[in-house]
Amino acid sequence: MENFETSISEILEVDSVELTDELESFDAWDSLTILSIIALCDDEYGVTLSADEINDAETINGLKELIKSKI
Amino acid sequence: MNLKFKNKKISGILSILPEKEIRFEDELDSYNFSRSQSMKLKLIMGYDKRRVVLEGTTPSDLCVFGLNYLFDNGHLAKDDIDALVMINQVPDHFMPATTQVIQGKLGLKHDLYCVDIPQACAGYPMGLNQAFMLLEQEEINKVVVLNAELLSLKVSPSDRGSRPLTGDAAAITIVENDPEGGPIYGTVNFDGSRADTLIIPAGGAKIPSNEKTAEMTTDRNGNSRALNHMVMKGDAVFNFVLNEVPEMIETLLTYAGSTKEEVDYFMCHQPNRFVLKKLADKLKVPYEKMPYNIVELFGNSCSPTLAVNLTHNLSEKLVNDSLLVCLAGFGAGLSWTSLLMKMGNLDFCETINYN
Repeated sequence: MENFETSISEILEVDSVELTDELESFDAWDSLTILSIIALCDDEYGVTLSADEINDAETINGLKELIKSKI
Repeated sequence: MNLKFKNKKISGILSILPEKEIRFEDELDSYNFSRSQSMKLKLIMGYDKRRVVLEGTTPSDLCVFGLNYLFDNGHLAKDDIDALVMINQVPDHFMPATTQVIQGKLGLKHDLYCVDIPQACAGYPMGLNQAFMLLEQEEINKVVVLNAELLSLKVSPSDRGSRPLTGDAAAITIVENDPEGGPIYGTVNFDGSRADTLIIPAGGAKIPSNEKTAEMTTDRNGNSRALNHMVMKGDAVFNFVLNEVPEMIETLLTYAGSTKEEVDYFMCHQPNRFVLKKLADKLKVPYEKMPYNIVELFGNSCSPTLAVNLTHNLSEKLVNDSLLVCLAGFGAGLSWTSLLMKMGNLDFCETINYN
């Protein structure tokens, strides 16, 4: 998961992210961003996520932990 | 389930697209989103142009228009049609069957096998399977497979997830016996436990249409729709396609004893550019062998879309050459289906406008 923060920053269209950042605080946060995260996780980690799971993760760290729990 | 057919061929394909074209950029104001968000969506999903019917047009109208075109151009003779197979989810009427509406409008013979199969985006291979099975009958020599869907009538004008990619279309595919025809391999899969992934909740026996089912409500993503409208769980559909379709195609190729390299084209149902590119990546198939341009040009019209993919992208090759083609459909049901077959030397492979 070492590239996780970099990949997520690209999807969220920002230079960097903090683990404590709330997902909904990003300007780019919308259903397409969620779909891009689902695609990233399928590609990079072989993990299947739903939109609800991602929304419920609330923060960047929550998302990271969610993915880790499924690897 | 694996399927195998022999001594059958497709002899012609015609796609029928309504003349009216809508551009995504012209209807941005219908959606509850910023312009920059919508433009990003256009780029990634391939939202651009789509074809829709005028209100009052029915699936049978497009099919009759296309069949008359084939009669007038000498591609098909009325009396040679032994069976009509229709793949359609939103028919002219609940009763009677749309194939029989078409039979009546065209004055086709009574000695005709009519069957309507309610399938959506996985429907194109389903219609061909039905034709192959009917051709086992001694008295059936020519089957006309119809795919017709006017889904624009069932999608909310304020649903940005579905509306910008929805188009209307019909297709006519002629299927015949061919003593020289090689084996055709297929797979079908169904999972009704995920029926609510793509659904039109109201209008049937479960929730009859009334004033309440026409009331619009807004979901957490900002899309508004009524119970009369189609609702799609975008994330679940995306995961479904990426999880099931590559596995299905691997199974098909193994069953047929073929390799990906031997397949000239992977012709898929066209949901949107994003999911098709991801599908090609996952299958490790080059984009040139898996076209994904139909949604941006014409919209996704459910089962006819696969025919539009064939007639728009491979018209010349399918008339002049012979290709090994893998067809794959996937959608509501959930259903996912595929066929691997030689296709070529078609009598016709065209796209026409309905007006």
